[in-house]
Amino acid sequence: MSILEFVANGLVFSSIIVLASIGLSLVYSIADFANFAHGDTMTVGAYTALVTFGVTGPIASGVLGLPVGFFIAIVAGVVLAAVVAVVTHRIIYEPLDIDSIGLLITSIGVAFVYRSVIRLGFGSGTNEFGIPLQRPIEALLPFGIRMTVHDVAILCSAAVLVVGLHLLLQYTDLGRKMRATADNPSLARVSGIRTRRVELWTWVIGAGLAGAGGVFLGLYQNVAPRMGFDILLVVFAAVILGGIGSVYGAMAGGFLIGMINQMMPILPNFGREVPFVPESFAIPIGIEYANAVAFLIMVAVLLLRPSGIAGGEAT
Amino acid sequence: MSSLGDRYDDLSAAEQGVSVFIVGLSLLLVIGLVTGGLSPTYFLYLVGLVGMYVLLSFGLNSQWGYAGLINFSVAAFFGLGAYGTALLTASSSPIGVGGSRLFGVIPLTLVGLLVAIVLAIVVAVAIGIPTLRLRADYLAIASLGLAEVVRLLFLNQQEVTNGSAGLRGIPGFFDGWPLLGTFPEAMPGLRFAELEVSIPGLFSTRILGFTLGTPFWQALLNVALVFALAGGVYLVLRRAHRSPWGRVLRTIRSDEDLAEALGKNTYAFKMQAFVLGSVIMALGGVFYAHLNLFVSPGDLEPINTFYVWIAVILGGSGSNRGAMFGGFVVIAIREGTRFLGDVLPAAFPVDLPLITSVYATVVSNIASTRLLAVGVLIIVVMRFRPQGVLPPQRELIWPQSVADSSGPGETNPRETVTEDAAASAHADPDSVDEGGERDE
Repeated sequence: MSILEFVANGLVFSSIIVLASIGLSLVYSIADFANFAHGDTMTVGAYTALVTFGVTGPIASGVLGLPVGFFIAIVAGVVLAAVVAVVTHRIIYEPLDIDSIGLLITSIGVAFVYRSVIRLGFGSGTNEFGIPLQRPIEALLPFGIRMTVHDVAILCSAAVLVVGLHLLLQYTDLGRKMRATADNPSLARVSGIRTRRVELWTWVIGAGLAGAGGVFLGLYQNVAPRMGFDILLVVFAAVILGGIGSVYGAMAGGFLIGMINQMMPILPNFGREVPFVPESFAIPIGIEYANAVAFLIMVAVLLLRPSGIAGGEAT
Repeated sequence: MSSLGDRYDDLSAAEQGVSVFIVGLSLLLVIGLVTGGLSPTYFLYLVGLVGMYVLLSFGLNSQWGYAGLINFSVAAFFGLGAYGTALLTASSSPIGVGGSRLFGVIPLTLVGLLVAIVLAIVVAVAIGIPTLRLRADYLAIASLGLAEVVRLLFLNQQEVTNGSAGLRGIPGFFDGWPLLGTFPEAMPGLRFAELEVSIPGLFSTRILGFTLGTPFWQALLNVALVFALAGGVYLVLRRAHRSPWGRVLRTIRSDEDLAEALGKNTYAFKMQAFVLGSVIMALGGVFYAHLNLFVSPGDLEPINTFYVWIAVILGGSGSNRGAMFGGFVVIAIREGTRFLGDVLPAAFPVDLPLITSVYATVVSNIASTRLLAVGVLIIVVMRFRPQGVLPPQRELIWPQSVADSSGPGETNPRETVTEDAAASAHADPDSVDEGGERDE
């Protein structure tokens, strides 16, 4: 496989990670806690899309190899993920009278509830969207890139969502209020911003993006109850790399972590090439360690620049 | 009996509830033992597991309950302990040492214990260095990552760890020890004849009817080991937490800026607490390896970390009595759901449209139901009783100072610590922000 192919894979995987990390970062900056249920919110989105697509069925002739029914399914996934997150916020997080660490622990309980309900409904095995697999795009094969139109669809959709979020944050009233609330909640409240409503919209947007990310992850790999939790660590690594609470940092961090994750096969015997390490201790790093490498990058960032790439600027 | 009644009245409502719960569950277990529904060897295995969870909860307590360190890699340190000793002693270990003694003198399991402790210290320091200076949630995320790395290493380094097959043929902890090593074989088997008990006209049942052989004595030895470990750790922790060192930790937990202003090196204190807790967790792992005689990367799944978290927050963060109660409840959840799955009827007795199908799903997927129970329990405890069922009271204070106060009630020193915990729980969000900025 060529380097270009890894880059292409990296771009697709990065789009998914970026969608997930933006949501996590938004909630981090406004609700002020590390939401461990974010990964399982992605799973909720993926399973909603699975069910919806089963109902709408593959209505023929769509865009980029995806039937029209699938786009309906994406919307359903986004909507239900947002609804579930808002309901959770209202009935669980909001009445709590504890600090951010207490909220963090509670979100683990929430994650377990999401995942176990999904497992009770769909079993613990994997599912797939009933979309026929695409052949790699012919035009790209001479460059050594094996990429399907589905991959292109993921890439484009993520780009549209990211640009949309940028416009929302910079040019709308809600976006300004969100940035103000993230920056200084008390000041925002005194200035007459209804922070409670802003917080609610943050959950809608954050969980909606997570839902979309979950659907794309399901299309990219397959749909399984643990899919979201398994990717959560990578998403956290991206958010920390970007600087906790910064949306643009999360975009950059998600992009970098996603690329590195898919570039792993380039270094199958990295350990053997490190100087001063005895041959027998060399650890051949394969794709199975992709998550571990994300973690090591995260630790390195914490050591060198704890505030991340974006330097701790909120939103 | 009157003194027992007085002491019962002396307890708080929560303590009374817990006492009643424990007595009730113990009675149920005794009935199970007598009627033969529960074999004595399995019962001792369960007691061993409770002891192990108590150890793990003690470890987490000295990190989270006292210093406020949020460690999500309990399973990793537990796994380091279990693998540390298993890699050395297991017969199927790729890097094991043959025989049961090193140089014919030192029992190999003792070396395994030391290896496990050293591994835990090294890893705890490695993860503590980048994260303990930062906001508390960095440690949460980084430690979850660490747990994943450790699990992936044990899963994928097949030539060292045997991979997903796990390690078999781990000897009992006392193998190769003088006297204790041959204790189970040396003990005679005991036979309990089956008896028929009946109240004429009312009921009759068969009770007892089992043999206690070598496995039973082996299990008894294991229980003695975990009691010794947990008892030792309890004494050390009680002493440590009442000492000036423990008081500094509690100050750090409730107000880190204050501790710093008082001239304490909070980073060093947090590191000490983190290492201490990790070593205790590794002890739990060592015990597990020699109890279960088999370890695999599945034991390092994150869910095991959260079982320990349940034990600690349910019992009461910072309370060692709470940790014991929590360990008890966790085993009741883990083993009880297994038992319930076998006992409950597969179909709901009354045919109601929705309930019947939901019931069938819940009963037939007991693993998912257990996960649901764990999740709901976390949410309910955090919502309605964030300080836990048995918050730390008397145990943190020298008995002398309790005796000097006005006696049991709601307004004596017993309450000071709970107020501390409450103060930290209601910490001003702005002060948290300042703490975060100082890190940069």
